[in-house]
Amino acid sequence: MTLQECYAAMGGNYDDAIGRLRSERLVQKFVLKFLSDGSYELLCRSLEEKNYEEAFRAAHTIKGVCQNLSIDKLQASSSRLCESLRNGYTPESDALAEEVRADYSQTAAAIEAFQKESAG
Amino acid sequence: MSTEQKQKILIVDDSELNRAILADMLDDEYEIIEAEDGLQGVGLLQQRGSEISLVLLDIVMPQMDGFGVLEVMAQNHWIEDIPVIMISAETGSSHIERAYELGVTDFISRPFDALIVHRRVVNTIMLYAKQKRLANMVADQIYENEQRSSLLIDILSHIVEFRNGESGLHVLNVRTLTELMLNHLVQKTERYQLSPSDISMICTASALHDIGKISIDEKILNKPGRFTDEEFAVMKTHSMAGAEMLENLPIHQDDPLVKVAYDICRWHHERWDGRGYPDGLLGDEIPIAAQIVALADVYDALTSKRCYKDSFSHEKAVDMILAGQCGAFNPLLLDCLRELSPDLPALMSGSNSVAQRDRREMRNVAQEIRRHEELTASERTLQLLEHERMKYSFFADMSKEIQFEFTVSPPMITLSNWGAEHLGLSEIIMDPFHQPDTMNVIDPADTQNLSDALRSTSPDLPVVTYDCKLNYKGAWRWTQIVARATWSSDEPPRYTGAIGKAIDIHDSRMKLNALERMASHDALTGLLNHAYAKKRILERIETRPTASYALVIFDLDHFKSANDTYGHSFGDQVLVHLAEKLRQCIRGGDIAARVGGDEFLIFLEYKDDVDAVLSRIFQSLCGRFEQFPLSVSMGAALTATVPGGYDALFHAADAALYTVKRGGRGQYRFYDESMRDTLSVISPIEDGQDPGEDVLK
Repeated sequence: MTLQECYAAMGGNYDDAIGRLRSERLVQKFVLKFLSDGSYELLCRSLEEKNYEEAFRAAHTIKGVCQNLSIDKLQASSSRLCESLRNGYTPESDALAEEVRADYSQTAAAIEAFQKESAG
Repeated sequence: MSTEQKQKILIVDDSELNRAILADMLDDEYEIIEAEDGLQGVGLLQQRGSEISLVLLDIVMPQMDGFGVLEVMAQNHWIEDIPVIMISAETGSSHIERAYELGVTDFISRPFDALIVHRRVVNTIMLYAKQKRLANMVADQIYENEQRSSLLIDILSHIVEFRNGESGLHVLNVRTLTELMLNHLVQKTERYQLSPSDISMICTASALHDIGKISIDEKILNKPGRFTDEEFAVMKTHSMAGAEMLENLPIHQDDPLVKVAYDICRWHHERWDGRGYPDGLLGDEIPIAAQIVALADVYDALTSKRCYKDSFSHEKAVDMILAGQCGAFNPLLLDCLRELSPDLPALMSGSNSVAQRDRREMRNVAQEIRRHEELTASERTLQLLEHERMKYSFFADMSKEIQFEFTVSPPMITLSNWGAEHLGLSEIIMDPFHQPDTMNVIDPADTQNLSDALRSTSPDLPVVTYDCKLNYKGAWRWTQIVARATWSSDEPPRYTGAIGKAIDIHDSRMKLNALERMASHDALTGLLNHAYAKKRILERIETRPTASYALVIFDLDHFKSANDTYGHSFGDQVLVHLAEKLRQCIRGGDIAARVGGDEFLIFLEYKDDVDAVLSRIFQSLCGRFEQFPLSVSMGAALTATVPGGYDALFHAADAALYTVKRGGRGQYRFYDESMRDTLSVISPIEDGQDPGEDVLK
């Protein structure tokens, strides 16, 4: 699996990322680092503990990282979740959180597959 | 600059990945410092200051967000020297607007283009560096200009001196004394409304006081003997001549320096009593600048050798001026001279040598600058500052002390690394008075006392020493806090915070307490000893001299036989038992002590029925300890009836006790006049001696 295929699998925009970050090496380096960023775990935990202020910040961070790496699909859902939590809990944030979970899983699966192949 | 290190960029973002992306784009050319939230960012700015060339700042972060960081940077004026580029996914125009209002240089929204970030960072740093270089150039130039104009005035006044045959130091001495007098005067009174810049201007202008002498014939000027009336009349024209020279300047007549110089030239020979020249002004009609220069002129003339006279000593010169032998001066100025007089010789010679040293140093710096063309004075200051910072943090780490720095605005405490670790706090604490873990370390009353003490210091005496307990991760220990309040250089100075250290004195304090206890208490019974009880009683009487007190002395009847019959250790047990009973039957505020042997003392305050109080105590002390019957004899003296202080009171109670002993023991009595000449209990009573009068009250 190439990095380009990985981007396709996670619903990202490969060309945009390369265009902005200027090198395949850099994009690959940070995509591989994406899984070790703790913001997703923080988001899940904060939602469980109903700490919506923290959950807002975590969603905001995910959105920012996705923007930097052009992971568009997860960026869109985390951005919606972020807005729904900006002023505390809102009823629609539960459904939006589910979307983020699904998109994150898809992204993580794509990166893990890419990681396995590029390592092997 | 060839030896330049990499410039430093501070990245403040809570996402490690975001920081890593930015760092990756920039770390070839710049040294990257990272902070994971706003609080840490502020801490690093506080520590590293203008070492940091640029800040890349996120908005949404835990602890303190990007706007919070900008507010702190604005309060401390850091934002004026350190450019900030904000990077955020927040694209709402209100956010961007607020960021610019708080002083950011640039705003980059996510997703960002690596090339653009890189270019903007480079541009911003270059722009600021250029601005800084220009500011330094201007500052250096102004400094140079000022040096040049005071040099010109020095040359000019030296020409006048040269012609007068005066010592080359006259102008410098007059200027120094003028400055000392002015500074002293403004501390003493607000009558003359002199600002620091007025003072500096008067001092500069003082150098010109005698320029009018250029128009006086040299033969008169340097005549060794006394002037004839005609010669003196010519001589007197020099003040007006100097003033006219300034008035007729083709340019600069309106310059404040020229106006002050005019006043000084024209009126530095006026007298407070109106008998001076040229105008015969009276009192404060004479401008204060001219009054002071006149006095300084006279003082220096007296203490210097001239062609027509020898020099007088400092003391003699001051005496002559104060006695009115050399003119009439403003009494306020004479007060100033009198008050300055003891330190004056040292101050005068000190300031001359300072001026010389200054000149030497200036030459050195100038050479230095020539050697390193690019190194200007201001940059050198920065390097020295950084060196100091490095030195400080090294010694702070080595010293194993809690060192702290506190600023009032923004409220923030910075602790030394070691100190933070030992108190279980973070090194940088924002808003410390509202942080529960910080407030747990010290009692609120101590915080208040310490704050009050620091605020009531002055810039001259800013150091406070305060002992209190601190909580070292759960253990409260006695600690000595030595702190120095920091004051702004404004007028009046503002309290801006404090620096200081906290020293653990718990062990020595505890040792001292134990020693004090040992010195003040009887080892066997744990009651106070006589000497210490006396001290406490005297304190009590002194605090409330009008209250009614009773001093009671009692001893055990037949104690000797208890010792003889059952042995000394039994005797000791009896005493311990009695002391315990005594403790139980007195009130908290009463003082109980073992005076010696089997004699005890009670000191108590009473309201009305002292007899009832004493009777209750007497009854509770009687009883039995094992096989030994406890019976006491007791004598009491009241402050209401026995005047003359502690010794008289003790003696009277002793006499009352003696009377009880003679009267058959097992009772208590108050002292009265009939006992005046009785003996003391300290001398033992023989059994079977005749009892005196009936002792029952």
